[in-house]
Amino acid sequence: METSKTLHLSNKLEELSVIQLTLDELGELWEIPMPAIMSFNLVLEEAFTNVVLYAFEDNLSHVIELKIDKSDDIISFILSDDGKPYDPTLAADPDTTLALEDRAIGGLGIFFIRKMMDDVSYNWKDGKNVLTMRKKLA
Amino acid sequence: MTIHLSTTDSSTTVRIIGRIDTLTATDFDSQLQDLFKSESTEFIFDCSEMDYISSSGLRVFLMAQKKFSQLNKKLILSGLQPSIREIFDISGFSQIFTIR
Repeated sequence: METSKTLHLSNKLEELSVIQLTLDELGELWEIPMPAIMSFNLVLEEAFTNVVLYAFEDNLSHVIELKIDKSDDIISFILSDDGKPYDPTLAADPDTTLALEDRAIGGLGIFFIRKMMDDVSYNWKDGKNVLTMRKKLA
Repeated sequence: MTIHLSTTDSSTTVRIIGRIDTLTATDFDSQLQDLFKSESTEFIFDCSEMDYISSSGLRVFLMAQKKFSQLNKKLILSGLQPSIREIFDISGFSQIFTIR
């Protein structure tokens, strides 16, 4: 069985549909339960959207690579882009206890990634941001 | 994503169907704008058919809650699916919304 899939996505938010479809397909192929696929979809949406919106200072087209890998019961997502160096793992957690008037959305994306995955690491490699997110399947 | 509205007396129910994500959040937000002009005093978001939400979607929920609160109107979320409820719990949103 295919245990790895690599997508080459352009820096457009519409590519989120491709990520969603791919996860649905792999979920079926690898027999991953729906709630887990939903949380992976959330994690990848937050990570990919951050790259598309904030990584590039030009208006050019860029390739963002997403590698999805399953070995035994560990699933890994490796997202690479050639945008400006940014380590999302250093972002502070949002204060989730604030009252309504003071709540904002900033920082929730990476917070979800940390909460949903077992392990999140960042590397700057060959001029690229590489974000690796891993989760053991229950 | 689609929404269906039904109004009875002073209450409006908003059935939210599908995904509220980065791609649909703007559309969802603009569809909610009319509600802020409505005469209803209570709004029930029926989320039982909402099967996905991301931080972009939560932003719209937060804005709606802030707006209703300014207008002195009540917003109630009902029927959240367990995986969606988890996202509300993790983000601390469960404390700022009335969830039924």
